[in-house]
Amino acid sequence: MDQIPQILANGVYLGAQYAMIALGLTLIFALMNVLNFAHGQMYVIGGFVTYTIYGAWGIPFVIALAMSCITLAILGALIEKFLFAPVIKKSARDESTMLLAAAIAFLLDAVILLVFGEKQRGVPKLVDGTTILGDYTLVIANDRILICLLAIASIVGFISFMQFSKTGRALRALAQDRVAAQLMGVNVDRYSMIGFALGAMLAGLVGGLLVTITGINLGMGGPTSIKAFMMVMIGGAGVISGAIAGGIILGFLEAAGLALLASYGDITYLLIFVSLMIFLAIRPQGLMGKPWG
Amino acid sequence: MKRRTILKSTLSAAVLASVAAGAAWAENPVLKIGFVGVTSGPAAAWGISNQRSMETRAEWINETGGYKIGDTTYDIEIVSFDDQKDPKRAVAGMEKMAQEGIHYVVGPNVDDGAAAVRPVAESNGIMYFPYAFPKSLYQAPASNAVLGMVANYQSGPAIYKHLKEAEGVKTVAFIAANESDPLSQRDGGVAAAKALGLEVVSDSVTYQVDTTDFTPVLTPIMRAKPDLLVLSGVSPANAPQLIRSARELGFSGLISTETAQDAQVLREGAGDLANGFISVGGASTPEIASDMMNEFVERYTDMFGEYNDESNTKVYALEYILETLKANPAAIDDVEAYKVTMDTFEAPNPYMQGDAVLKYVGDSSFGQKRQVAVPLVVNVYQDGAFETMFIAEVD
Amino acid sequence: MFNNVTSKQWMGLAAFLFAIFVAVPMFIAATGRTDFYFTLTMVALLSIASGGVWLTFYIGRINIGQGAFALAGAYASAVMITKFSFSFWLALPLAGVFSALVAVLIGLPILRLRGVYFAMITLVLTEVVKLTSLALDITNGARGITNIPRPDGLSVFGLTIIPDFGAMENPKLGFYYLACVLMVLAFATLYRIVNSRLGHLCRSMQQNEELASSIGVNISHIRLIVFAISSFFGGIGGAMVASLTQSVYPNTFQVKDSVDFMLNVFLGGLGYVFGPMLGTLVIYFGWDLLFVAKEFQLLIYSTILIILMLILPNGILSLRLKKPGSDVAKAADASGLELKEGK
Repeated sequence: MDQIPQILANGVYLGAQYAMIALGLTLIFALMNVLNFAHGQMYVIGGFVTYTIYGAWGIPFVIALAMSCITLAILGALIEKFLFAPVIKKSARDESTMLLAAAIAFLLDAVILLVFGEKQRGVPKLVDGTTILGDYTLVIANDRILICLLAIASIVGFISFMQFSKTGRALRALAQDRVAAQLMGVNVDRYSMIGFALGAMLAGLVGGLLVTITGINLGMGGPTSIKAFMMVMIGGAGVISGAIAGGIILGFLEAAGLALLASYGDITYLLIFVSLMIFLAIRPQGLMGKPWG
Repeated sequence: MKRRTILKSTLSAAVLASVAAGAAWAENPVLKIGFVGVTSGPAAAWGISNQRSMETRAEWINETGGYKIGDTTYDIEIVSFDDQKDPKRAVAGMEKMAQEGIHYVVGPNVDDGAAAVRPVAESNGIMYFPYAFPKSLYQAPASNAVLGMVANYQSGPAIYKHLKEAEGVKTVAFIAANESDPLSQRDGGVAAAKALGLEVVSDSVTYQVDTTDFTPVLTPIMRAKPDLLVLSGVSPANAPQLIRSARELGFSGLISTETAQDAQVLREGAGDLANGFISVGGASTPEIASDMMNEFVERYTDMFGEYNDESNTKVYALEYILETLKANPAAIDDVEAYKVTMDTFEAPNPYMQGDAVLKYVGDSSFGQKRQVAVPLVVNVYQDGAFETMFIAEVD
Repeated sequence: MFNNVTSKQWMGLAAFLFAIFVAVPMFIAATGRTDFYFTLTMVALLSIASGGVWLTFYIGRINIGQGAFALAGAYASAVMITKFSFSFWLALPLAGVFSALVAVLIGLPILRLRGVYFAMITLVLTEVVKLTSLALDITNGARGITNIPRPDGLSVFGLTIIPDFGAMENPKLGFYYLACVLMVLAFATLYRIVNSRLGHLCRSMQQNEELASSIGVNISHIRLIVFAISSFFGGIGGAMVASLTQSVYPNTFQVKDSVDFMLNVFLGGLGYVFGPMLGTLVIYFGWDLLFVAKEFQLLIYSTILIILMLILPNGILSLRLKKPGSDVAKAADASGLELKEGK
């Protein structure tokens, strides 16, 4: 039972970072009905940009993080305008965008390999030291606490942006009903692009934040996307609160499973997958999703 | 019609470009050596360090006039195939090598790929040099695979024994990724540790290959407070994260692995926390590297921008192939002749100071000489570079 | 049973059969590119599995989990052959049946999901089967099953129908023919299903499940049957790949393979029964040919994919759209359009 504080701490920390990854994915899905396979690759690019600016060139972290966001926002806008928008217009089925998204994921993988190389990269720690409470019942590194707080702050910031800004309101209207939003005078094309850029920017932001803890390598993209899909499934696709809930739940499941089931080998994920299937059989739209996405 | 025209011209342009890229200069006759391994995805670093070592060396040879085997001087061409760490693709790659008339192939990098290509290699007369450890690849009746590095069941016992005697290690814990190679290396390591009389306090903790944050994974092991934590078959990408998380969780014992690592990656990923980390490397630590090794590192860095310490081991396979062919030119398209030469082959080791030799070993592990003799150099990471801890030999 | 096939289509079929069974082997013999045998055999086997994915699309489900059923089939046949000394010719169909049974078990809960929810949950399946195969003893865990014997001979009443592959002079050619025969059978079956009552029901479900249900179609039944058939194809493809490479590992089919199966189907065109075959050929063979591009292989490959999507978002076979297509193509296309408007 003395494991509980550590499990909770690990859960909060994992949950906060997962929630941020899921946010961008679910935003893009809500706006355009696109399952963005390239989300993980965007996260990786964000990490590499921060690595290059902060780690390799020694420019302050805040600037590097901002550059990650800007790079990804521009990249996202370009991808939406020149790739997704034309394909969505021309294709007979929504699902065709999945092929495009997967191809973009491959393309970004190739670009990452050529530009940033094959090695694992890491940057200097933001803050040193470890907080130890109660004779090692709770051990958590200080930079993790910092990143966790930054992640929570970003999530709060994002939600307030969606709630209170004009752009946020337009995006929410778009997500709710594309046709109605258009009738109400929302420039659908423009806001689709802004929304996609915003989703990509979130991926870049979380990549830039996490590179300080986990480092970055070109293989992290695909698995990150799949994990993000799982969180979105748990919480409900296309719903902001669902993405956050899904991320936090997955974070806690992992933290608890890895701590309590360690002696049985790697069955944590098998159990998570199986319980996810059972859960979805009972509640197909996830915790908070609209039925049938 | 228009889109069809665009489609056609795009495709033909792509085909033309690829054909043009394939045509190379040709003054000397060309000797093709193959590489089948992983050069994309999470494990890309393994294969890329192989491929780049081979390309650096080939370029170097060609620049200095070619490589003389028998009466002919050859230019060396490296033909590489990305198997994406997929055994199906590895087989396709080996077929491709056979088609190109290649008899000597370096790779694959992982256990399942290496085992999957065996039927193709044997039926097409190809010798291949995997970086995979299963003994069945090298023991009779298999005979076409040559282990390109030191196996964990050879280096592990040496490291544990040294640490037991020199550092007083009594308890060991193992952690491995939930994947073929690391799991079998863990099982080998556990057996070796038990044979030495060490107490194994944890050997069941595994992590997903795509884990990015190891704190939750390591939490249960830290409770066992082992003297030594072994990262079985850890990939260079995961090693710094594991070390960092373990240290941040308050682990103060020793950490070791039996695979090759890269100092730069450790420095960036774990910084000072990686000090004291024990791994197995090739022969580039300043104490033993020859001038030729230093020049190799320089050329590699010039060509690709950054050196990878894993290449300290991976520089050897191509050298062994060429030296053995030089010793027996008949082997150039006859692997049976090559196998005969392997039993007696010996040549000076150009990458190491002193009188070290290149020769095939493996009698005690495999019952036949199916391993290249790479010096077993056990390194300790200290402040951004590796220092030699001790050097041993494999027989 | 194929009475709605026009004479033109018969001609096309004859030309296709001639191409794969006569022209390709002649071409390979003439050029000496025997490595194409492996590649083309693989294309034939993977297109069987892709055909299964196509069938799940036919009931309006995006299946990104075919790798799971291929892996299950591969393991099932390998275990039957190596541990219980089954004949390959018995193990092959049983592997398909095994995958189909697994599909029924998994399909019962997850087939209730639709749209992206179904797509995302199937994406997890491959990982589930991989983790299971790593955890079990009968699958040899991380070591995988190696040295699977080649298919044995098959004889009925002393008459040898299929010679022993192990004794064959050119087992590559044997596998190529076997794979092609299986592929032709698989796609004939698909064609038959699409043009049957089941096919009509599937199309009605693809358009609107509630409506189909309200006119008395037992949709959960049909979903399950279709998913089982789809996975049967996956299992057959997987078992054949295991036999071809004589080994199976937890990594033999990965999430990436599942995504590739889906891409094959999209690229060929969802509205066309033979789309998966063409898509698999382009994706697998294209990657192989691009091997000369070295480090730019993935870059060129993905760029071509993107360009193809921009020019032909409805699949390569949609090039024929302007001509009057088959009933199936038209019907599926129409339903596709309605599907979009329905959202």
